[in-house]
Amino acid sequence: MIEPSLALYGDAFERVDRHLEELLGATGVRYCLLVDRKGFVLSHKEALWAPRPPALDSVATLVASNAAATAALANMLGERTFSEQTHQGENGTLYVESVGDSALLTLIFDGSVPLGRVKVHTKKAIAGLAAILKELQDAPPIQLGEDFSHGATALLDDLFG
Amino acid sequence: MSTINFAAREINCKIVYYGPGMSGKTTNLKHVFSKVPGHLRGEMVSLATEDERTLFFDFLPLDLGSVQGFKTRFHLYTVPGQVFYNASRKLILRGVDGIVFVADSAPNRLRANAESMRNLRENLAEHGIDVREVPIVLQVNKRDVEGALPTEMIRAVIDPRKELTLFEATAHNGGGVFETLKSVSRLVLDRLAQNK
Repeated sequence: MIEPSLALYGDAFERVDRHLEELLGATGVRYCLLVDRKGFVLSHKEALWAPRPPALDSVATLVASNAAATAALANMLGERTFSEQTHQGENGTLYVESVGDSALLTLIFDGSVPLGRVKVHTKKAIAGLAAILKELQDAPPIQLGEDFSHGATALLDDLFG
Repeated sequence: MSTINFAAREINCKIVYYGPGMSGKTTNLKHVFSKVPGHLRGEMVSLATEDERTLFFDFLPLDLGSVQGFKTRFHLYTVPGQVFYNASRKLILRGVDGIVFVADSAPNRLRANAESMRNLRENLAEHGIDVREVPIVLQVNKRDVEGALPTEMIRAVIDPRKELTLFEATAHNGGGVFETLKSVSRLVLDRLAQNK
């Protein structure tokens, strides 16, 4: 096993959701995603007024890959990591900050939102999110069992023949 | 190991297509993309050079459906095969749940196949993992090229102990693509069910 699994459930999931909801309200960003380092979306929120979001699993994959490449660059330059990334375009900004070693908080917003405000509120949210993810890493492993295996095999037969 | 999101009832697994440059990794993904019904797949993302060599990776999300109420999804990746892109290959292996090693049958690619497998072992080792801990399926691709090497000769340099399940393929016309994917998917899901 290269990476530990992350299993979001129950109370922890709701608390993560609340943090993202508060962050969305406080900053005025369009989309807010918590992504694991493998590139999977753990949770996401979008403003009610925001246009239809882009393909979020593709966004998550590219954000995680970008973060991994950035971390590799940091190591080459003698840093443990570069903890945040900002990509600014003419109309929008993508802001990514590490949540401990296991996840990335990603915010997407337009030019009406000041980057400084986003940074301040993101750092507050990260403290809470990091604590929740740490709890999850100590949680007992998930048991799926043989029924899952049989069900999955049947689906594979259906899809791939 | 796979990412499980209990609240959203989702299980996500990462499968990486590995192998030497030009062996047909991207072609495998393109075939899957072209044949799987639209509602079961997401967008295919390709980060490629101008001459269509993979620069960082190709990515294709694939929905298997629901298993015991869990939406089960595979994320398929390729790595860049060219030797000098090793830093990228290492990054893509992060969190891998299953690997398809795509070997090239062309007569002048035997050494490239062997070197790519050695590179895979080394890169996994750098992540602190033995190659035997990850489900791997061997796909011997381009079986239709002129002078294609015997499959057993290719296996001898990649998998001398014959530990891997082997599929012959001609990915450009889809031959063997889904058989390979099904096999690695089954291995990944079995491990998930066994909680390994």
